[in-house]
Amino acid sequence: MSRVEIESEVTGNVWKIEVKIGDKVETEDVLMILESMKMEIPVEAACAGTVVELLVKEEDVVEEDQVVAIIET
Amino acid sequence: MKAAVLREQNKPLEIEEVQISKPGPREVMVRPVAAGVCHSDLHFMDGSYPYMLPTILGHESAGIVEEVGSDVTYVKKGDHVITCLSAFCGHCNKCLTGHLSLCQSPEVSRTADEQPRLHQNNQPIHQFLNLSSFAELMLIHEHALVKIREDMPFDRAALIGCSTTTGVGAVFHTAGVEPGSSVAVIGCGGVGLAAINGAAIAGAGQIIAVDMVDSKLELAKALGATHTINAGKSDAIGEVMEITRGGCDYTFEAIGLKATAEQAFKMLGSGGTATIIGMIPVGTMIELHGVDFLAEKKIQGSNMGSNRFRVDMPRFIDFYLSGKLHLDEMISKRIKLADVNDALNALKTGEDARHVIMFD
Ligand SMILES: [Zn+2]
Ligand SMILES: [Zn+2]
Repeated sequence: MSRVEIESEVTGNVWKIEVKIGDKVETEDVLMILESMKMEIPVEAACAGTVVELLVKEEDVVEEDQVVAIIET
Repeated sequence: MKAAVLREQNKPLEIEEVQISKPGPREVMVRPVAAGVCHSDLHFMDGSYPYMLPTILGHESAGIVEEVGSDVTYVKKGDHVITCLSAFCGHCNKCLTGHLSLCQSPEVSRTADEQPRLHQNNQPIHQFLNLSSFAELMLIHEHALVKIREDMPFDRAALIGCSTTTGVGAVFHTAGVEPGSSVAVIGCGGVGLAAINGAAIAGAGQIIAVDMVDSKLELAKALGATHTINAGKSDAIGEVMEITRGGCDYTFEAIGLKATAEQAFKMLGSGGTATIIGMIPVGTMIELHGVDFLAEKKIQGSNMGSNRFRVDMPRFIDFYLSGKLHLDEMISKRIKLADVNDALNALKTGEDARHVIMFD
């Protein structure tokens, strides 16, 4: 078991979180949708596993490279 | 309605039947007559910018109002409009301080709980930049369009919706080019050519066009470039330094690459300003020589030409109709929606200025 940190690629606002803690996800599943300069940008699972932590909530501002979720593989 | 849907990055768009919602109180249904195929569409197609999929690309269009929501008073059915991705709320700090193009208020889109504007068999289709113009109908916020005069042809009006505004706006608003100043523009695609045309309108003294394709440099000359440099055949920075005797007052990067963004900064004279218009891929770092800041050299971004599009676009139309803004030369081909993939491929090779989709 290892914990994988999922980072946001861009600065933006969290528009919608698509998963909850405990959800099983596959690689490239959308964890949340960010809004940044009119763009809808997905944050995707970098690996398959279980979502064990969500470090942001809807309407939060996130920065580039900020860890937004943790997946346990 | 028919629309060109992007389901997977690096795959062709698929023409599919898509459903569109009824206008909400502040929304407008627009029937696009013309839609430009812009280089930025490619960035989202090839994944250098991630985007929610499936989506309908296209963000440069002009058309006719088909239906308005209950609270809309600005336009009525039958009005001619240009759409713009810089939808503004009108009351946030950015809007109230005159930076409408930087408005990030979520209220110009639907909320996560509402029925999406675009959908297919009850599955959402993500609207692209609040527009999605590669479709027979568009449902947009009333603050994502501007009413225009009816003697303006739709295909050329469409270009004003993105490339003209981005290029000319970067010169007028973001950089504030003064008469007599020296300007270099790196990249002579639709946006770069618009920047060259904008610099000519602003009265710049020297306007240096830089590209690797000779046919584009010829077009740049026709639009007002005083000098051209084929960067594939000569040292662009060295030539710019020689022409300007020490560097430009203003440079514009209209490609979206690390190397050319850094070149734009290196082409500056003391006190000069480099404006980066091109979309540099997410994750790319730009490196500059720190000592250059002692010479008060500046570098800045420009998004959609720092526009106030409801003021700017009607002015650009007047510029076109009075012969100052050149749009006829910018359209290399008029195509049908079904041929959108050919237009996107043509942009990849960089030979053609721009294809415009004409709807029936
Ligand atoms: Zn564009
Ligand atoms: Zn606003």
